[in-house]
Amino acid sequence: MTDRSGLSRRSILLGGAGASLTIASPFVHVTPARADKGEIVVAGWGGSRTTAMREVMFTPFEKATGIRVRDDGPPEAAKVKAMVDSGNVTWDILDTDIPAILAMVNAKLLEPIDYSKLDKAKLGKIPPVLHHPYGLGHLIYSFNIVYNTKAFPNGTQPKTWADVWDGVKFKGARSFPFRGGLSPQLEFAAIADGVPADKVYPLDIERAWASHDKLRPLVTKWYANHAEAIQLLSSGEIDICCTIGPRGLVAKKEGAPIDVEFAGGKLAPDNWAIVKGSRNAEAVYQFLNFVIDGKVQAELAKRIPYGPSSQDAFAHLSEAEAKELNTSPDNLAKQFWTDIDWWGKTAENGKTNNENQIERYARWMVKRG
Amino acid sequence: MTLVAASAVPSVKAARAWRARPGLMIAGALAFCAIVYLLPMLSLFGWAFQGQGSSGASLAQLSRLIGDDTYHYAFFTTFKIAAITTLICALIGYPYAYLMATTGPRLAMLLTAAVMIPFWTSVLARSLAWMILLGRKGVVNEWLTGLGLLERPAALLFNSIGVQIGMVHVLLPFMVLPIWSILSRLDPGLPRAARSLGASPAAAFIHVTLPLSLPGLAAGATLVFMFAIGFYITPALLGGPNDLTIASLIEMVVRDLLDWPFGAMLSLALLGLVALVFACGAAFAGAGRIAGMEGR
Repeated sequence: MTDRSGLSRRSILLGGAGASLTIASPFVHVTPARADKGEIVVAGWGGSRTTAMREVMFTPFEKATGIRVRDDGPPEAAKVKAMVDSGNVTWDILDTDIPAILAMVNAKLLEPIDYSKLDKAKLGKIPPVLHHPYGLGHLIYSFNIVYNTKAFPNGTQPKTWADVWDGVKFKGARSFPFRGGLSPQLEFAAIADGVPADKVYPLDIERAWASHDKLRPLVTKWYANHAEAIQLLSSGEIDICCTIGPRGLVAKKEGAPIDVEFAGGKLAPDNWAIVKGSRNAEAVYQFLNFVIDGKVQAELAKRIPYGPSSQDAFAHLSEAEAKELNTSPDNLAKQFWTDIDWWGKTAENGKTNNENQIERYARWMVKRG
Repeated sequence: MTLVAASAVPSVKAARAWRARPGLMIAGALAFCAIVYLLPMLSLFGWAFQGQGSSGASLAQLSRLIGDDTYHYAFFTTFKIAAITTLICALIGYPYAYLMATTGPRLAMLLTAAVMIPFWTSVLARSLAWMILLGRKGVVNEWLTGLGLLERPAALLFNSIGVQIGMVHVLLPFMVLPIWSILSRLDPGLPRAARSLGASPAAAFIHVTLPLSLPGLAAGATLVFMFAIGFYITPALLGGPNDLTIASLIEMVVRDLLDWPFGAMLSLALLGLVALVFACGAAFAGAGRIAGMEGR
């Protein structure tokens, strides 16, 4: 009896399931099993950058895996802190720079990257300097000498940091970054003072600041964000600017009288980082393996002029395209990498070099005024 | 019938309860304020005075603030900028408000519009507009050099001149409106009476109109000063290294250094100073007038 009733119940359930399947069958094709594969949220910078990423990364990834990619942002450290502290983590992956990552590592807001879960062949094409424990470099920006071509036509621009520091030989208003989470440009100060680019680290902090003092009277505006810097350059308010080279190239393409000198530039990565408490670890690594592919990165580089981290990307780019990218083999040789470890190192007072120098920068700015 | 009557009784009772205690009606508003203003304020206090780990209260942040003169300089700069802005606003705003209150209705309307329209534009947009106007190759300098008044472009931007122009422009309505509100309700018979008793126009103004309008001036000055102390965008965009305000440093500490306890301490110090200014203004002009709830 029990057996039979059990059987019959099972058969009823099966029948019911079958019936509902039959009824639902026309919709099965319309709504594929995406919901089951989950969703990841990538916090990035919005604008043309996110649009390009959606086109060459997010949508193809969704098609390939069935995992939905939602974008949000901006990936500010303070926002991540609020999320992690409140236990309401809605972001999985961040697209952010090293200073932000260092601050977040210190505040225990990030998950270390498990490099064993990443594709060895693809990873091998990305310079080892970009394999940070908490961030994998994917899009390379660089601080370069960006200048107004009306003030410096036909290759008369300053070509070294010593030139930028030389207000007699190279007349013109300078602009350097301050605040906005940016560390002081101490490497350039040291190089302008005669330190070779490959011996910049470990930084001789006092020597760099002494050189930085000499820059002060030459600077018209200490800008707080890069868009402002580009605006000042293209309106002719500023002649020489230490800012993000790729941003200068975007403006150049739009017709602004701006160009970029790659020589002496400081390369730094924007990274994929994983938020602590992200619940979709498997999907996150699937995503990372998808987007560190050289071909995918090359497609992105065609849309936004930031350097792809994978050297494999240049196999898919023309020579003319490579010339305007800061990570092409030629341009790479003219520049140096930001030493992430040095900036992230904890000093005697328990803070990182980055935090200490940002604070010292504010102190320098206020007191010398 | 009885059912309807029975259900009507409690609602009448409830209405009576509201009438008997009107304070209940603002309970919702009070709760809103408690959640939106009081709680964050308390957590600000919590951050500023929390000890290392979970070991109770600590004055570490306070002693850091007292010990680091970088922040004292920034507070000083902030107050200096605010004081100069207030002074310039008063010097421009008073005659303007006086004209608004005493002229014919058509011109008064025009003057009001001239004050109010920029008031409705975003501060960021206005600051950026000033950048375009005041720059080395900006409209103002092009004219001045074009007319031969200047040999080389003047430095109007990225220094305290730029900051003052930008801030006065943004804050002027807060000076003009309270003064105008007092002057426009002033009995015009009073200065006229003074004139008829032999006072010169200047004497009538100094001894009658000005003293009567001082509360408006005080209210305007307090408002402008308080806003100027917390100002952030305009000095950051139009200023140079000598115009670094405390608001900029708070932003740096909170957003870049993620040092929320110290950021909270700086914010509380700023809040305390603003409260002090408000208290001084209130003593002179009456708190209601500054808050815009003047009794008629």
